[in-house]
Formats: sequence, C-alpha cells, structure tokens
Amino acid sequence: MNPFFMSILLIVGLAIFCRTMYYKLWLLLSLEPAYRFNHILTRLKNVVIIALGQKRLVGRKKEWASGIMHAFIFWGFCVLLIRSLNLYGEGFVKGFQLPFFGEGSILGYLYIALKDIMEAIVLVMAGYAIYRRAIVKPERLHNTWEAYFVLGMIVVLMISDLLIDGTRYNLITHYGNPDHLHFLNNPQYGSEFLWTPVAVGAASLVAWTGEGANTTILTGMFWLHIITQLTFLNFLPLGKHFHVITSLPNVFLKSLDYPHEKARVLDLEDEAAWEDESLGVNHIHQLNWKQGLDIYTCTECGRCKEVCPAFVTDKPLNLYDFNESLKHELLDNADNLIKRGKLSAAKTAFGTLTTSILNTIINKSKLPVTLKAVETDPEQMEDIKARMAALNSKNVLVGDVISEDTLWACTTCRACEEVCPVTIEHVPRIIAMRQGQTLMAEAYPKELNVALKGLERNGNPWGIGYDKRADWADGLGVKTMAEDPNVDYLLWVGCAGSFDDRSKKVSTSLVKILQNACISFAILGVEEKCTGDFARRVGNEMLYQMMAQENIETLNNYKVKKIIAACPHCFNTLKNEYPQMGGNYEVIHHAQFIDGLVKSGRITLNKSFEGSLTYHDPCYLGRYNSVYDEPRSILNSVAKEELKELDRHGRESFCCGAGGGRMWMEETIGKRINVERAEEIVRQQVDNVAVACPFCLTMIEDGMKELGKEETIKTQDICELVAKNMV
Amino acid sequence: MKILTTVKKVVDVELNIHVKDGAIVEDGLQYVINAWDENAVEAAVQLKENNSAETTLVSIGGGDNTDMIRKCYAMGIENGIHIEDPALANADSSAYAKVLQKVYEKDDYDLIITGKQAQDTDSGQTGIILGEYLGLPCVSNVISIEVMDDQHIKVSRLGDTGTEILEMELPAVVTVSDSINEPRLPAMRGIMMAKKKKINVMDLAALGTSAEEVGAGAPQSEIIEFMKSETRQAGQKFEGDAAQITAQVVNLLATEAKVL
Repeated sequence: MNPFFMSILLIVGLAIFCRTMYYKLWLLLSLEPAYRFNHILTRLKNVVIIALGQKRLVGRKKEWASGIMHAFIFWGFCVLLIRSLNLYGEGFVKGFQLPFFGEGSILGYLYIALKDIMEAIVLVMAGYAIYRRAIVKPERLHNTWEAYFVLGMIVVLMISDLLIDGTRYNLITHYGNPDHLHFLNNPQYGSEFLWTPVAVGAASLVAWTGEGANTTILTGMFWLHIITQLTFLNFLPLGKHFHVITSLPNVFLKSLDYPHEKARVLDLEDEAAWEDESLGVNHIHQLNWKQGLDIYTCTECGRCKEVCPAFVTDKPLNLYDFNESLKHELLDNADNLIKRGKLSAAKTAFGTLTTSILNTIINKSKLPVTLKAVETDPEQMEDIKARMAALNSKNVLVGDVISEDTLWACTTCRACEEVCPVTIEHVPRIIAMRQGQTLMAEAYPKELNVALKGLERNGNPWGIGYDKRADWADGLGVKTMAEDPNVDYLLWVGCAGSFDDRSKKVSTSLVKILQNACISFAILGVEEKCTGDFARRVGNEMLYQMMAQENIETLNNYKVKKIIAACPHCFNTLKNEYPQMGGNYEVIHHAQFIDGLVKSGRITLNKSFEGSLTYHDPCYLGRYNSVYDEPRSILNSVAKEELKELDRHGRESFCCGAGGGRMWMEETIGKRINVERAEEIVRQQVDNVAVACPFCLTMIEDGMKELGKEETIKTQDICELVAKNMV
Repeated sequence: MKILTTVKKVVDVELNIHVKDGAIVEDGLQYVINAWDENAVEAAVQLKENNSAETTLVSIGGGDNTDMIRKCYAMGIENGIHIEDPALANADSSAYAKVLQKVYEKDDYDLIITGKQAQDTDSGQTGIILGEYLGLPCVSNVISIEVMDDQHIKVSRLGDTGTEILEMELPAVVTVSDSINEPRLPAMRGIMMAKKKKINVMDLAALGTSAEEVGAGAPQSEIIEFMKSETRQAGQKFEGDAAQITAQVVNLLATEAKVL
C-alpha cells in the first residue's frame, strides 16, 4: 500500500506499546519473588484448556450465552492474527501472503474461509455484547465507556476487514482493476471468492458505489483497520482489557499442585523479618509478582463477587473493588516501586526474582551449588535498606487501601477462584494480608482471642481441657495409638468431632462404620491437637506452626502412614499443608473412605433411607480437594429417592459461612450466610440435607433453626446416614 | 507512675483434676497464668499505654516461669521479677504477701495491681493482706481504674449492692475482677522480641529477706487434703403431653422418691 506510511505507523505504534509493556513488566519484577516455571507441559495444557479452550466461560451452564459470546470473540481474534500479519505485509508488498497461506496451498483457502466466517461471527457476538451491556445489563457487570469503546473497535476491525476484501473483489470482478488483480486462485481449489461468502456479501453491499468509491473505500478501510488495530493494541494495557495480553501468561503461571498458592511457611525465627515488619503483606510491595500479574489480569467481569458468600449477604467484600483498589495502589506507587525494585536488585546482586528462580532451577537439577546474593559492605546495605524503606507506599493495605471488614469477611471458600476465567488467586492474597494484620499490626478481630487462646492452651478452639479430647469414645471400644500403634489407619477425629456434642454423634457413627467393616484403626486421643487450619486462615502463622509441629512430631513418632480425617479442614491441612513442614501421609476424607468401603463390598448399605435428600458440598472437600463424586455416590446408595441437587452445588457450591476462621467470629454485618444457604435448601423442598463437615453441620443446622425448619429438614452427616442404613 | 503487678502460675482448670490419697495427681497437668492475674497485667498495660506508666511484674515460685513472664512482656509489661526459693514450696497467701512487700520496698511503686484471687486455691487473700502489711489503701474486686492525677486514681468495684466508685490516694493496692477487661493475646512480634529480654530471677536472700522473715517456714494456713467434688447425677427428661408427663412424675415420686 504505502511502505513509508506503514513503517511510520508500525514504528510509532509498537514503540509506544513496548514502552508501556516494559514499564508494566519492570513493575512486576519489583515485587516479591514467586516460582511458577515448573511442569511446563501441565502449564501448557492449562493454557490450551482454560485459556484457548475458554473452559470457564463456555463450560459454565449458568452463563453459557455470554461464555460463548466471549469465546467466539477470542477465537476470532486468534484466527485474525494471521490475517493481520498478511495486512502488515500488504503495507509493504502488494499481495503479500505468509508462507503456506498463499494460493498454492489448501491451507491458504481453509484459512480465508475460516477467517471469513469468524469475522461474521465476531461481528454478531460484538453486537450481542453491546446489546447485553446496554439492554440486559447483568448485575455483575460495571458498564463503563471503556467496554463500549473496545467493542466499538472490534466492530470497526471486523467491518473494515470485510470491506477490504469486499471492495477488492468488486474492483477485480467488475472493473478488472490491474492494481487489485491479486487474489487466490488455483485450478484445484478454485478462486478466493468461492471460499469467502461473507466478504462476497460485503462486496455486493458496496458494488453500486462505482470504481472510484470502491478504490477509496478499500484504501480507507485498510488504513482504518491498521490504525484501529494499533490503537487497540496500545489501549489494552491501560485498563481492564490488559487481560487480552496477560490472561494467557496468567493461566500458564497458575498454581498447579493445589488450587491456589499455599501459604508460605514463614520463618518466624528470623529476627530481621520481625524488625523489618516483612512477615505477611501490609504494603503493596510485599505482594509477589504473580499476585501483581493477577491484578493486571482482572477483567472486572464480576463473576467473583456474584458467587462470593460474603458479597451475596451484603458484607463489604467486593472482590472486584478489592482488585481495583490494589491495582490503583500498585499503579499509583509504580515509579517508587520500580526504583525500590532496582535497589533490591542491587542489594541481592542478582535481584530477588532472578536469584530465586536460578536457585530453584539449580535445586531441581540437583546441582551442588546455591547462588548467594553478593555480600556488600554492611553500611552500604543499611543505606540501601533505608532508601528502600523511604520508597515504600505510605499506605498500609488494610486500613488505607481496603477496610478491615473487607479483609475479615472472607470465608476462604474459593468460589471466586473457581469461576474466575483467568485463574486469579484471591484467597492466598487475603491470607497473606491477614498474616500481616495478625503478626505485624496486631490488628485482628479481638473476638478471635478466646478461640486462639483455647488452641494454644488446650489444642482446640473451644478451650476445653485437652485431657477430655477422647471422652466421646468412652465405651466404643476405640483404641488409641498409644495402646496399639500397629493399626492400618489413624482416625483423625478433629476438634469438633471430639468436643462438640452434635459432632460427637458423627464421630460415633464413623466408628460404627469402621468397626462394621473390620478396619484396623486407632485414634490419637489426648495426643491429637487442632491441625491449626483455623489459626492459619486468620493469619496466625505462629500458632499454626506450633500446632503443626506438635502434631507432626506425634504422627511421625507413631510412624503413621494412612489417615482417615473426619473433617474437611483437618483433611486439607493434613494432606496439603503438613508436607510443607515434614509431615507426609496418605490422607483420605471419611466420605472417600466410606465410598471405597461400599464399592469394595466391605460394608453393605440398605437402600432404605426414606424421604428426599440433598447434599451440601463443604468447600474444603469440594473446591479445595475436588471430592465431589464420592459423597454423592454414597448418598445414592443409601437413599430410596435420587439425590436432588441444590442450585449452587459442586464447584459452585455456596459456603456455609464458617470457613476462614469465620466460625469463631460473630457475623454482625448483612444477612447470615448460613441462613442464605438454609433458605436455598428449603426452596429445594427436601426432607433431608447431608453434609460432610462438622462446621457445615453446625452452620446448616443453625440456619434451619433460624428458619424454624429444623424439625422438617434434618441435617445429618454422611456418616450418620450410612451408620443407620448399614446391613 | 510505676505499677507493680503480680502473676501466679496455676493449674489449667479446664483439665480434669484427679485426686489421689489427698493430693492432686500431677501427671498430665498443665500450667497457665492465673486468669485474674492476666486481667491485672492487661489493666497495668492499659494504664501504661494511656498514662505513660512503667510496668513491672512479679511472680513467685512455680519453677520455671520464663514462658509465662515472656508472654506478659509480649502483652506490654516492661520488667519482670521472679522470686524462686525452695523455702516457698508451701507458702500461703500471707507468705506471698510478705514477699511482695519486700519486692515493693525495693523500689518505689505507685500502684500495685493483683488478680482478685487465684484459680487454684481461690483464697483471694494475697492482695488484701499485702495492702495491710504495707499500710496502704486497698480496694478489691475492681472493675475499672481511672487515673485522676499523679496522686489519685478513681476505681469502681463490684460490691454486694452494686457498683461502688472510690477515689484512692496513691500508693495503693487494687485487686481486679475479670470484668475489668478482656486480656489481649501476647503480641507475636512481642513474643519474638521478648526472647532477649531479661528476667530478674532472685531467691529470698537476694531479695534481702529470709524464709523466717516472710513466714514461709511456718505458714499461717495449711492444706490438709484435696478432695474431688461429687459430680451431680444427670437429671431425668420427661417426654409426652402434660398428662403423660404428670403421670410419669407422680409415679416416680411415689415409687422412687417415696414422698407420696
């Protein structure tokens, strides 16, 4: 077209883009380190399924229409990438085609056909998106000019590209214009026109305008397309549409072995960390770069708040705003953070990120070396530290950027993470900020004191004497590990199962089942302590580590290999978090174990349970550990009627309100989460609700009491249903 | 203002206490800070925070009290004294008060805050006897302390007929109720920082006194025997309508209680 003009546009457009990206990247690198470069193949698989496959958009039944809309716009853009390269080439060389996409190859024809149909689909989808925003107005969306502007650009890109082809076709077919005679044509595959019905349609729309007008439209549309595309590219990093660029890397870098990044085992013996106040997250620079990338990537789609039990019940936790506030804090301090990052790099010679990445690679390769930050003169180090401190944001995250009530409203249920299309990990950030509040600022809800003190003194949040822990098992013929350490399984009862009257009945039922199946098992009795789950979720890493260390020591002393856990919180901590501190066991939740017993015929169930039945998924069993099928399989073996699913079930189940330490805090703002859930169960018109977690049991039962339904809708643990219906 | 507060290490009363041959079975017991003393520490720390006071705690006996004292440091107490002497093994409230008197006399304190009683013996004597020995005004069962000026405080106490408000001239002794405050948990940062802090451990000689002088050799009271309290039998629950329940109750009154 015009190589000079094209060069100018490309140089200016790409230079501005590179400058913006360079700055954004530097900002990320100035944050704390995180290692996310292992298991490349698994990561690529995630990219294919979640990002390229748009799994969380098209796979969500509740919002399939908008999911499909987004997916097709995305796929359309992917397809059009090749076309764009061709157009940039066209700017320099007439009739430019990428290798293998020319007229000699079937690939070229298949591609133009796909591109042609995709442009039409994207156009329709963009129209639907505008209709949805302007007319339907889903509650979760914030209607901003930015969204309309981007949709407008998409429409312009599609129309201009179709018109480029349309006018070219007109000039070739009607006027034999030698300037535009290039088109794909091959005796075997036919001509380009046969493969591109949409562009042919566009051609007919403008055919009447004549040769001159067609030539002008062609030139105009070409440059409009190029300029819009470069504008689009430069607009992306400035707002929520940055996700177009960052979501693929964000999905690639998502946590792998666990649904989100595990809380770090903080070095509490490090005096410098206490003095520098660097434990937990209190300031924006303490986030790690992946958390920074999460913040960049937030598409502001609002799915997170829609499924959040805190937001739904009018608590001041709106993850959309949470991300926005952090993003503002990050960008407002960007210059200082980048300077800080450079100082930090100077301090550690390689920089924190580089050193940690290199060290991890060295570790994995089992090389006998470790990179150390270059030692510098202590006075100089102090000077660097002071200069770094001076560059810290003046804002503390909790108090200045987000409110205390926002931070403590989270039940850590992970519903937000499960629906996030770009795999943002919200909960670890909240836990890290709670660590900052608890360890550094001493600013946690004081109502937690009783439970924390109980944990510290007697190993349970009720604070009941530790020596009464095994009283529930009196007369049941249950051995302790001290009496017989050679059993096959350790039954981990948990605090609720040991001390809470209602949950003790569940423990008794579980024992009955294990005894019926002749399982060789024992309990720790008075030697068991809270796993520390609750302490960790409220940011009290010190108490968590104390509990974990003591338990791991006890378990390792008895050489425990296999554990059956009667509480999803214990199950999750024993299985996923104790390995961080040297406790490696095969841990199984009682629902999984009982399902195994039923399937292997060790216990036989009467399918005799009367009445309709539903199941409430505990977050730490379902979303944290993907145990969805086993409880359902058990219930279907017990109940005469088929299990009725709740509206919110499985991956999108609704929290009971007790996770994340909320069990031990009053719920004074908004509606009670357990009542919201109980109402949903009541709406389902069932006679029974089964649970698999002592906290859910308490919360759902209390919810039913609040609604006056405790007599008509019975809440029971799976164990109880099985124990009553065993042969 | 200089505040002296006292802490005692006691058996955790959440545990089942077993008695054998008139003595408490030590096996399986664990020890914690006396809950009322925790309130006293909290009260002292709050006075320090609001009135720039200097706080010192003293604990007597109980073996290694380092952990307990460090936790009080982490709550905000600045200085710690631990009096450990074999002669104090069977000390009673009077002997403790004498020891505390000696501690008080070594330094000029303006206010002594103690818990109103200890969870193990529940005597509630030490603070009051200390006031008597020192010849200082003493108010017990205090639920609030307010500093008026350098010389005066205003306290509220739970009396038999209601809340009594009193003004006291310093120096003075107060013993506090658990309604006075909700003790904070030791600050975790404080726990780490407290590791390096010194605890002034001394025996009676170092305190400038002797077993005879504090009366530890011949306590004025003596524990003769521990007995386990009888557990009340569980009650009986009747179910059914009023007529059925009445019939059951009448039947039991006639056949079991034999009062009809």
